[in-house]
This record gives sequence, C-alpha cells and structure tokens, in this order.
Amino acid sequence: MPLVVLTPLFAFVLAATSVRTRRSAANMAMFGAVVMLALSLLVAWGMTRRTTPFQVTYPYLNVPVAFTGPPNFQGFGIDIILRVDRLTSVAMIVMELCVIGALAWHRVMGRSEPGAARFYALVSAFLFAAAGALVSYDLAELFAFWGLAGAVTYLILAHRWSSIEASRSGQVALVLPFFSDLALLCGIAVIYSHYGLQNIGTLVPILHTTPGVGTKSLVAISVLLFVGVAGRLALWPLHAWLTSNARSSPPAGSAMAQSVWSVVGILILYRLMPIISASNAATLRDLVYACAVAAIAAPALTLFGNDPRRALILAGSGVAAIGAGLVIHAYAISSTTLAVVGVACVLAVAPARAAAMLAASAITAAMRTDDMAEMGDGWRRMRASTVALLLSALVIGLSACGALAFGVSSSSRFGLAMGEAILLVSIAAIRVFFAVAIGPLRRRRAFEPDRVREAATASLSWPYWLATAGAVLAVASLFPAWIGYLDGHKHNAAPVGGILVWVGAAALGIALTAAAFVYDKDGALRASAALGRWLDQVLGIAAGLLSRFVYEPVLAITLRINDLIPEGDGELARAAAASGRLALAAARLPAVPIVIGLAALLALVVGIVSPGVFR
Amino acid sequence: MILPEIVLASPSPAAVPGAGIFTSPLILSLTIWLPVAVAIFMSVIPNPRNRYDTVMKQIAFFTNVGILFILFVAYNQFQTFLPTVQYEEKLPWLASIGATYHLGVDGPGMTMMMLSGLIGLTSVLASWGVRERVRSYFCLLLLTQAAVNGAIAAHDMFVLVLFWGAAMIPIALLILGWGGPRREAATWRLVGYWGLGTAALLVAIMTAYAANGGGSFDMDVLLKATLSPRVQLAVGAALVIAAATRLPLFPFHGWARDVYSEAPLGVSVVVAGSASRLGAYLLLRALVAANPAAARLLAPFVAILAALTIVYVALVVIRSVDLRWAAAYLSMVPGAITVLGLAALTPLSIAGSVLSTFTGGLAAALIVAAAWTLTDRAQSRSLQVLSGLAPRMPILTWILVIAALGLLGVPLLASFPAEAMVLFGSFKTQPVGAFAVVAGLVLTAVALAALVHRVLFGQPNPDAPAVSDASLGETWYLGLLAGALLWVGLFPGGPKLPGTDQTVFDPGLLNVMAAGITDIASPYVASTTAP
Repeated sequence: MPLVVLTPLFAFVLAATSVRTRRSAANMAMFGAVVMLALSLLVAWGMTRRTTPFQVTYPYLNVPVAFTGPPNFQGFGIDIILRVDRLTSVAMIVMELCVIGALAWHRVMGRSEPGAARFYALVSAFLFAAAGALVSYDLAELFAFWGLAGAVTYLILAHRWSSIEASRSGQVALVLPFFSDLALLCGIAVIYSHYGLQNIGTLVPILHTTPGVGTKSLVAISVLLFVGVAGRLALWPLHAWLTSNARSSPPAGSAMAQSVWSVVGILILYRLMPIISASNAATLRDLVYACAVAAIAAPALTLFGNDPRRALILAGSGVAAIGAGLVIHAYAISSTTLAVVGVACVLAVAPARAAAMLAASAITAAMRTDDMAEMGDGWRRMRASTVALLLSALVIGLSACGALAFGVSSSSRFGLAMGEAILLVSIAAIRVFFAVAIGPLRRRRAFEPDRVREAATASLSWPYWLATAGAVLAVASLFPAWIGYLDGHKHNAAPVGGILVWVGAAALGIALTAAAFVYDKDGALRASAALGRWLDQVLGIAAGLLSRFVYEPVLAITLRINDLIPEGDGELARAAAASGRLALAAARLPAVPIVIGLAALLALVVGIVSPGVFR
Repeated sequence: MILPEIVLASPSPAAVPGAGIFTSPLILSLTIWLPVAVAIFMSVIPNPRNRYDTVMKQIAFFTNVGILFILFVAYNQFQTFLPTVQYEEKLPWLASIGATYHLGVDGPGMTMMMLSGLIGLTSVLASWGVRERVRSYFCLLLLTQAAVNGAIAAHDMFVLVLFWGAAMIPIALLILGWGGPRREAATWRLVGYWGLGTAALLVAIMTAYAANGGGSFDMDVLLKATLSPRVQLAVGAALVIAAATRLPLFPFHGWARDVYSEAPLGVSVVVAGSASRLGAYLLLRALVAANPAAARLLAPFVAILAALTIVYVALVVIRSVDLRWAAAYLSMVPGAITVLGLAALTPLSIAGSVLSTFTGGLAAALIVAAAWTLTDRAQSRSLQVLSGLAPRMPILTWILVIAALGLLGVPLLASFPAEAMVLFGSFKTQPVGAFAVVAGLVLTAVALAALVHRVLFGQPNPDAPAVSDASLGETWYLGLLAGALLWVGLFPGGPKLPGTDQTVFDPGLLNVMAAGITDIASPYVASTTAP
C-alpha cells in the first residue's frame, strides 16, 4: 500500500532530476499515474475481500517535552499513518482517473504550453500529495500532505508565469486557499492543544470525555475544520481561487485542481465529521445552512456572466456543496450511515467536472473566445467536443439526484433548498452546452468561423471517458449495494418517488434552459452579460471601498512607521553625535579660565536676582 | 596549567549506551578559541602584496570545516536522554565578583552550536568573492564566529554578556570596511541597536546579580535563584528588549534593513543565520527557563510583539521596491514565530521554539543569501528592474522558491515541524497571538507570492542589465543551507534503519534538542486535571 503513495513521488523525483523533453516528461508522469492506478485497483480488489481497512504506521517525529502533567502532553509525535478503507480506495481510483484523463488530454492539447517538464513533474507531485492526504489518519500528517498539495496546486495553476493575467490570478490561487488551509491548521492546532492527540482513531472516543474541553472549544474546532475543507472544496464564497484561474491556467491543470480537490475535500470532510459533529446541534445546523447557501449561490452566480469555464466550475462547486451539505446533514439528523451518499455524489461529479473543463477548453480554444455570446454552432462544427460537453453537463446536473433521494426528504426545508440547488446546477451546467451548441457562430474581427475545426483526434476521447466514468458513478449512487460497498453498512433502496422528484428538478432546469435558449439565445446571453457587468461593478465598488478604507490606510500607516523608525533613530544618532562633538569641543577649551568665568557669571546672576539689588 | 584544571573541573557525562563515547572536555573551548587562535595566526603571518589571499581563505575555510567536524562529533555523541548540561568546562576566573569561565550545552545549546557551525562554514563560502583586505576580513569573520559560539556555550552570565557584546565589534568592523555605499549608516544603526540590547542585557544581569546577593554570575546559581516577582519582571523586561534588538522584533528592527542590504554577503549570512538567533536563545535561557513569573506576566506582550512583527513585515514587503530590503524584512519572520512559541509557555511550544531557532536561522540566512546573490547576478536591486528572471537563472529560482517556502513552513522543509510545534503548542495559552501570527503568515504568503512572481516569473524586462545564474561556488553555499532545511525536514528524528528505531549517522536534531527541554519547560506543565 505505501507504494501507492510513493509511486508518484518516484515519478516526480525522476522527472525533476533527469527528464528534460516534453514527451519524456509526459510519459514519466503518465507512467507514475498508471502504475498508481494499477496499485490502487489491487488495493481495492483486496478490499472487496475484507471489511477492515489496510493500515501501516511509520513514525515521522517523536519528541518528549515533559515528564509530568497529562500523559497526552508529555510528548509530541507525528506518525505517518496510511489507512485505506473501501471509500478511500474508490476515491483514490477516481482521483487517478481524473489525473490520467487530464494528462492524456494535455499531451495533445497542451503541446504549446511553456515549461512542459515542469508541468508534468508538478502533476506527479500533486498526485503524491493528494494521495497522501487521502490516506492520512493523523491530523498533522494530513495537514502536511494537504499543505503540500496546496502549494503544488498553486504552482500548477500559476504555470503560465510569464502572462500578467496568470500571474495575478495565480496569486489568488495561493492566498485564498492558503487562508483556508491555515484555518484547517488552526483547527488541528486547537484540537491538539486540548486533547494532545492527532490520531483520528484515538481522538474521537475522548472528544466528550476529556475534562476542561467545553462546547465553545468544540464549536471553534468544528468551524475551523469546516472552513479549512470548504476552501479546497471551492464552496461559495471560497471558490474564487478556481474561477479566477479558469482562463489563465492550463486547462488540464484547472481540471485536475477542481476534480482532485473535490475528491480529497469531501473525503476529508467525511473523515473529520466525527470531530465536527462533536460540537453541538446548532453548529451542525449552521454548517448545513452554510452548505445550502453555497449550493444555491454558486450555480446562481453562473447567470452573472458568460464565461463558460467559470460557469462549469461554479456548477461543480454547487454539487460539491450539495455533497458537503448531505454529509453534515446526515450527522445533524443522527443518521450517520447516510453521510456516505454525499461523498458518492461528489465522487461521481469529479470526473465529469474534469471532462467538462477539458471539452469547454477545446471549444473556447477553437472558437477563440471566452464569451458564450460569441459562441455557437458547435453541434455542427465541433460535434465530438460538444457531445462530450453535453454528457458531462448532464452528469453534473444529475449526479446529486441519487444521493438526495437517499438522504433528504424533499418536503423538508433542507430538501427545498437542495431542490433549488439542483435546479440551478442543472441550469448552470447545461446552459454552457446550449450556448456552445446552437445558434450561429458569428464572424468577428480576425476570426473566421469557417476555420473552426474539431480538436485533435487524439484528445477527443478523454473527455468522453471521464464523463462516462462520472455517469457510471452517478448511476451507481442510485443503488444501495454501491453505497453499502463504500461504507460497509447496509442501506435500504432509495425510494423511486424520491429519485423521480430530484431527477424532475434537474430535468426542469434543463428544460427551462433549453426553452430559453431555443426561444432567444442572444437575449438570454445578453441578460446574463448585463448581470455579469452589474456584478463586476458591485465587486469593483466593494474592492474599491476595501482598498480605500482598509488596505491603503493600513499600508500607509505601515510605510509611515517604516520611514519613521530610521528617521527617528537617525535623529537620535545625530543628537548623540552632536552632543559628542560638543563634549569634544568643550574638552579642548582651557578648563581653569572657563571655571573662573562660569563662577563670575553665576555670582552675577545670583547678585542680580538677590533681593535689594534691583528691588 | 589551564588544561589540567579544565579536565579536572569537567564532570564527564553519565554513560548511556550508544553515546558519550567521545567526551573530550575541550570541545566547547575549541569551538570558541580555535577561530580566535587562527585569526591571530592569520593576522601575524606575512602576506606580501596580498600574495597569500587565497591561502587565507583556505585557512578560514578549513578552520570552519574543523569546527563543524568537532561540533558534529559532539552532536553525534550527545547523550539525548540526559537533561543536564554536557561537555561542561568550569574554571575559576574573577573570584572577587563570582565570575567563572563556565561553558556547557544542553539540548537547545547543542542545536544552536550546530546552527552556528553550519552558518560559519556557509559564511566563509559566501565570502569567497571578497577581494580587498582579505586577511583582515577573514580574521574578523572568525572572531565573529568565536563570539557567537561563546555566547551560546556560556554557562556564566558574565561570560555570556562579554561574548554577546563582543559579537557586535567584528560585525560592525566588517560592515564598515567591506559594506555597500551606505555602510556607515548600517554600521551605526547596528551598533546603536545592539548596543542598546547589550546595555539592557547588562542591566538585567546586574539586577538579578544584585538581587541575589552578588555572589555569583554562574547560571546554575543566578538563574535558579528565587527572585521576587517585581525583580523578575524588571529583569524580564530588560531581557525582552535585549532579545528584541537582536532577533530583531518590531519596533527594535531599525538596523535590519540597512545591515542585511549593505553588509557583505558572508556577514549578512552570519548575522541572519546565527548572531541574531542569539536573541531567541537568550529569551529561552534567561527568561523562560529562569524567571517563570516574569515570563508569564510578559507573555502576552511578547506574543503581541511577535504578531506585530510578522504583520508589519508582510505589509512592508508588499510595498518594497528593493529586493534586498524585502529579504531583510522577510528574515524577521522566523524570529517572530520563535518568539510566539516562547510566549505561549507550553512544553510543546518551547520545544517548537528551539527547533524554530535552528530552522529559522537557516531560512533567514537562505532568503538573505538568495536575494543578495540574485541582485548581484542581476546587477540591480530594484524590483522595478528585476522581472522575469526564472528562465535565465534556474538555480537561483529554485533556491529563492525554497527559501520562500521555508519561511512559510511548507511540509518537507524543516520549518514545517517547527512551525507546527509552535502553533500546536500556542493555541491553548496564546490563542489571540497564535491567530494573529497565522494571519501574518497569510499576509507574508501574499507578499512572497507577489515578490516571487514579479522577480522570477513576470514579464522579462528588456531594459534590465544582463543577468547570469549562480556560479558553482554560490550554488554550494546556497545549496548547503537549502540542503540542511530539507534534511531536517525529511528526517527530524534522524534517518533510521528500516524496521528499527536505530538512527544512522545522524542522531536526529529533535532527539538532541529535546534533551533539556523537559527541564526548561517543567514550570509550565499543565496540571493533570485541566489539560
């Protein structure tokens, strides 16, 4: 099992040290990913024959810090605990499929990307770190892999360093998730400071039995852990690190970032839920609300603007929010065995997200625009890519239906919110397809529609494969046997009526979008463009206010202090030097006459001020 | 006559299997007086028309290699399960005032000695390009290293303050003699701030000495005396000022920008890597370990200083226009993290601080050295000129990125376990300080991202002067620092034989460091009822 994690590391080391050409770098990364997939399949096959997880432990550091006090605080250690259960093995396979698909697509479509060797080496490192995070069972170890994966994600997303736009949006990809990563670190740190443990297995039983740990601490821990995971799941409003890089990063990098991180994020959320749920019912309820708002807001935002890749990212973010909401909701209603359905839905949508991103990137590259209002006629000119986009959009729109049928009553308040979310997600995803597929592709300056050609043949099949994998997983999530395989519990079949209700909500969204686009595609896209401009204006004003009243004053104060300190110590030094010069000059004067003169002066002053001289 | 006395006065560490085989009582004195002796030797041998400049460099290099070897032997033979001071040397010196020549190191001291050894060697390699008055330069560099080693190894406060103050003189002369265009301002700032710190340290020591009845300066006596809380507070406040001027912490950092940007590279490396780390070491030794009441009282203020420092640094770096200035400010970040751990006063945070002193020294030296080398190779310090250098200087690009990641505490680098230990240990006792430092780290990441993007990965500037990548010699000293960061990050507990707990070759910095932490942290252990 350790080989599963180490294989991409070996690939990275080899790629970073000895591979120079684009082709050999691509082969090396692909080889690492394929070997890893084979090993993961082997582990998954082994898992079908046993119910207990595979686990190995290696001590990384262990330091005694006290000989007295609570035993848990007498030492500090980080163990590398690699633990693979069925869910983890499936998640790992899904993640590897996404990476392999994106890599294979990039080999053909990313030929003109600069720094190919660097890109492929980083992909291997990303796979290593993400796999490490997936199998981690020690919180510090988890954060180590998580942080490493985060750093590599930034390097992948900011790959086109020489472009100013990529450079700027790359900074968002560093800073925003770094903020949420530090929330995760703070959460883990607060856990350690209260319990002195980091092993999830030994931590969970003592969450409520440790004296001195109150509800406030547990609430703080829950919120910090949730924010940490939500940042990498790209839940609204922490999605900007993906959307801001939608255009400026290599499409394969963006596809990998969103699909792999959604898998890692949802699995870690699932794994941390026993800790998060230890807080209280109100906190869980609030977290469910937060997920519901994110699930509605993210796809709703796609209506504000016409960037196809941004729209697909936000639609995927909506499904991730639905999945996260389902996981937390299951704990909130004490049906913990249902939590896995939320994971199943995100596992299903991950390959579809990658597929949609790759297909949309091929289309935008061919049509040379990122504005859906300028796209069209894809069904005739780029049928293969457009069909892949359709398939992946359908999977994104429908992937949550099975999970919702298992876990949520459609008549509950949460159910209503989820219904709205699934409606908006299906609109957001399928809207891109309609914008691309139908309507005319108009002539623009320096753009001749007749020159639009389908993407290179060797790249065409990968979005299909990925979308198909997503479809298979989405269909599987309707069956209790699959859900039972994932978590090892028995589940009842989802009610057919429930499935129909959720599929109906998604179908309604698809039908509404189709009607709007068939009736007046240009009008629909003009409206969303106007909304997008309005949103940009609002955000611009907000950013201006933030800059005017927070950023600039703080910077001005800092810079003033920065100038003041050298000025101040410079003045002090000059004063000291002046006093020294004065002392030096005084030392050169003849001492006795000076003393006599000063004495005479003193006598004169005393005489003048004495009573009777002037008064 | 002195040697037999040292031998007689030095208790041998208790025998622990696998360690302590080599117990020379002269190890610490060697690391202090060998560079002094070599410096004297270098200063008197004839050097007609600078003919033997290269030989001078080689002498300094091999002296440092020898010191590092001695230190590695000491590190390797260190008895990790013995919390007491090891390699102890004690000689009567000024009996009338109770000062003794008393040296010794525990776990944190050994860690600092290793840092000093590594930095010493690096500084000589980084000074290989010095062409003027080579003999004087390397003599002063060796004296600097001797003073730093003396301050670390001192087990008598009188000896400590002598070495602490002495370190300033050769550094000031080096900057004044071999620095950049603004060397005078840099020198006087250094002398001013470090002089203030030395005065504060002297006040602290004399206060403690007087309050204790004036019998002895020995740390075993002076730091273990029971002082009234008011005296402890006065001593503690003076110690904080002394440490803040040296590390440096905001607002006592006025020297850092000028010194790191104007001093010759080798001197910058020594100051950032080891001389300034003495501030944290002093806080650990004289405040945390000796004055628990004052440490508890001052802890919130110290945590605020740490948080202010890191936030201030990030904000200044965002608007910085000079790469060396930016690196100078960034080199303050590890010190702030170290100090947060010392303010948190939990066993884990204290242990993290000690590790952070080591890793922070490496990271600070690396960022300063990388920025210095890069500006030298690019023939400009201005961030308006330096842009898009990555394709033309791949080695320096990697080094600068590693340095940036090292400052942020990214996994696989040594600063990760250090920062994790500090933060994990701080959230219970200093939650506000810890959150503020974390927020400062986020801001630092912003600043670093902007800096790295602009300098390395932005649009190349067609009007910029010609650039070249690091030479082999430059790669050596930068690689040494980066390699040490990676090595400790990968094997903090030492490399182990597969399937066993037996370390190979390197006993593990964490294991060595831990010896003594338990003693220092014992007043701060939480009660068993309320964890």
